[in-house]
Amino acid sequence: MSIEQQYRTRAKELLSAGEVKMVIGYGAGTTAERRRPIFITSPDETERLVLDSACIANLSGYLVTEGLLSDEKRVAVFLRPEGIRALNVLAAEAQLDPLQVVIIGFDLPKGELKSLQGSSVDDFTDLLGALKESTPDVDGRELLEKIEKMSPEERFAFWQEEFSKCIKCYACRQACPMCYCRRCIVDSNQPQWVNTSSHTLGNFEWNIVRAFHLSGRCVECGNCDRACPVNIPLRLINRKMAQEVLDSFNHFAGTSKTQEPVLASFKKDDSETFIL
Amino acid sequence: MTKILFTDKLDSCVERWRSAGMTVIGPVQRANSSVYDAVKSASELDLNLVLTDRSIKELFFPQSEPMLRYAITKAEINTDEFLPPSGPRIIFGARACDASGLAIDDPLFGWDYKDEYWFQRRNESVIVTIACTKADEFCMCTSLKLSPDSTKGSDILLRPLENNKGWQVEELTDRGREAFKSVADLLQEGSDPAAATVTVPEKFNADACAEWLKNPENFESRFWKEISARCIGCGSCTYLCPTCHCFDIQDEGGSFEGIRRKNWDSCSFALFTMHTSGHNPRSTQSARWRQRIMHKFNYFPGKFSANSCSGCGRCTRECPVDMGITETLQEISKLSQ
Repeated sequence: MSIEQQYRTRAKELLSAGEVKMVIGYGAGTTAERRRPIFITSPDETERLVLDSACIANLSGYLVTEGLLSDEKRVAVFLRPEGIRALNVLAAEAQLDPLQVVIIGFDLPKGELKSLQGSSVDDFTDLLGALKESTPDVDGRELLEKIEKMSPEERFAFWQEEFSKCIKCYACRQACPMCYCRRCIVDSNQPQWVNTSSHTLGNFEWNIVRAFHLSGRCVECGNCDRACPVNIPLRLINRKMAQEVLDSFNHFAGTSKTQEPVLASFKKDDSETFIL
Repeated sequence: MTKILFTDKLDSCVERWRSAGMTVIGPVQRANSSVYDAVKSASELDLNLVLTDRSIKELFFPQSEPMLRYAITKAEINTDEFLPPSGPRIIFGARACDASGLAIDDPLFGWDYKDEYWFQRRNESVIVTIACTKADEFCMCTSLKLSPDSTKGSDILLRPLENNKGWQVEELTDRGREAFKSVADLLQEGSDPAAATVTVPEKFNADACAEWLKNPENFESRFWKEISARCIGCGSCTYLCPTCHCFDIQDEGGSFEGIRRKNWDSCSFALFTMHTSGHNPRSTQSARWRQRIMHKFNYFPGKFSANSCSGCGRCTRECPVDMGITETLQEISKLSQ
């Protein structure tokens, strides 16, 4: 039986047994290459689920939808390792109770569909721990290396050109599972902390605020990068920040549901004396 | 015999228009994204695209535009108005859906207050549209009673030749004729046949949709929640749309000194209708998506007798979760049967 068929059966069993009220997965999209998020609530609909190498989007962001999860209303969700890391970060930041989520895990190493054993975040601890030690597979690594070698002026010019395209549609924010703030700083308008204008300064403000806010939290699922309608290579910023956090604090976001947020926790014996 | 503009003469045309003081604009690639932008030579133009990522509207209604500078002192209040940069422009290589989008928005920007930012640019721009010989799965102009060779909103329509060596020239307006007079000697009379325009299949019945939308019973239909369940509430569809026209006015700076700007806004955002009290009449994403569809296919046609959609398909093409107008209207077409 194909992995897709196995997982449809599993989704059907979970819904039939009442273990979950909803399955969040992938369905066929507008074109043959596209997949779209679907929400299955009836065992009869599980045949609509699709699972293949086009199922790239991280669906964990839907879990923080207001009123979705409860002890009585658990939800199953198709997640790749990045999605499971996102779930851990959301749990560590008290945004959801991971016991209310059933993971249907899969991975796409080199585009090949592979099933992952387990259903609760704790079942994947070893897998996620190993990811921390591995070299991340980044689309655009050559460009990243090129940017690293640039002078600060050249680098500024590079990002200036990229950010000049930004239209502030906030697709990056909306697609991001970590951007769950009820009211984003850019939407706080009394006073207006960040310019809403998408001129160069406003675009720098937005993209840099977001990069800092995601540092140590981003799981590099790529949702923002794929969502961007003007193709700003946002993954490169997130990769850079993740590497900085790893090098500086030995922190890899989302390895466990109790992991302390690296930039939002402090220790009395912190080596930086200015903190106390 | 028809007038033909051969491809190898295009660069001379660009040069001619530029030397006459016109800004020449067309579809180009900019940092891995396609957009209409100014060019210095024809070689910069990317005329093979089905459609640019970004729509033509931003040439007339930019994403952020300064309106006035203010300075308040104890003695007086000073304001300096900004007006859009003036000067003639020729937009070469627009698509029919984009050009139509401009014509759709003209009555909106002029029905009571005449938006001088929009109309100054409209009056100074010549739109040269190239009929489409290819389309993609997202194109839907024919569902909106337009076509790949619609003349709506265009000053000149070019039909690509079968041999791909140029275009048949159809002059549609005086403004178009005027701009092409200056390059008359670069055109040739010829009988080269035009290539067939692409066939874009009809995807939904817009009239049936309009009837369904007008029925008040459907306002609270469960359909809205179901169709928009996956919407993540970004503004990508509205900002890429050639006809979406909502904006917000923001004072940037301090209480005593700053710049008042007109910035794009989107009905997809929760903040769009948020009241000062904290109450939001469109508190859910489904209510916001319903508003977008109602506005385009019910309220706007009620006021201006045209759908606020020209069928470019960008909403679906770029949607992070594969939503869009096509799917919604296809589903409404089914419901209205």
